[in-house]
Amino acid sequence: MWEGLQDAAWVTTLATTRWLYGLVLVVHYFALFCCVGTIVLLDLRILGVADRSLPLLPLAQQLRLWTWIGFGSAVVSGFLLFATKAGSYVEVTPFHVKMLIIVLAVASALAVEWSVPKWDRAGAIPVTATLLALISIVLWLGAILAAVEIPALTGLG
Amino acid sequence: MHDAVLAGCRWLESTPWGVMVRDSTWMYPVMKWVHFAGLSVWLGASLTVDLRLIGVGERRQTAAELSNRLFAWSWIGFFVAFLGGFLLFSVEATTYVSNIGFRLKLAVLTPLALIWHVVVHKKARAWTQTEHTSAMGKWAGLIECLLWVSVVTASVGFLLTNVLTYP
Repeated sequence: MWEGLQDAAWVTTLATTRWLYGLVLVVHYFALFCCVGTIVLLDLRILGVADRSLPLLPLAQQLRLWTWIGFGSAVVSGFLLFATKAGSYVEVTPFHVKMLIIVLAVASALAVEWSVPKWDRAGAIPVTATLLALISIVLWLGAILAAVEIPALTGLG
Repeated sequence: MHDAVLAGCRWLESTPWGVMVRDSTWMYPVMKWVHFAGLSVWLGASLTVDLRLIGVGERRQTAAELSNRLFAWSWIGFFVAFLGGFLLFSVEATTYVSNIGFRLKLAVLTPLALIWHVVVHKKARAWTQTEHTSAMGKWAGLIECLLWVSVVTASVGFLLTNVLTYP
């Protein structure tokens, strides 16, 4: 199945057209910086490291759209990059680890988002919020670490 | 000038940190990670301000308010990215500077984007005096976005056109 994807005509075109592949890489990098950056900024605010005196909710609302547009674009471009070597990626453990971390990271980001209005109303940031924000930072930065380890450990990428 | 740059690059490659990252099996990807983590925070903070200036997305805070609260974080992100990038560069500086994409990124695009970032921060309040951002402010936000896209593009171009020993 994955070899079939890798051998599809549009995928081989993508894999052999350098400017096109480069374009998808640019989108992937830019989108993931946007996604992870805005998430980490919100988490830092929840942790009270960043601008504690300023209200939480408006910042969360301002960042939210860019987080998910970034995430969506990173997923689409990431899938395209994955497709060019699908057969190899599915066989290596670091790639599995990266996917697992991303799933957990998305869950933590959603949990933070759903809870922000509640935490904002409560005034003081509860311990669960601190914990969730910390988990979210570790997972999102962990996803990037897993990503850079794929070429280092497997030669793919 | 060219000789001086090359000499500087050779010196960087021979520095203790250049040798250390090159000879280590795990440090190179970790430095890449540091570079990307820093960039994420830097770009997340900068783009949020720029996009608000352009006027797309939520309008919960003004561009000036966002710029004030995120400005420090953009620089913290930048210095983390710089630290990681500097160590990556030290591993094989002579290969990096021989690439046109890298030269563009380091000597032209990144300095321009940094200067522009400071200009945007200084002017954000003036551009958002009324309810609507001035045309000047919108253009400034768009230009900063494009400058960062160009920095990433130059980096990717450099990655794809160069034969790095440590990709």
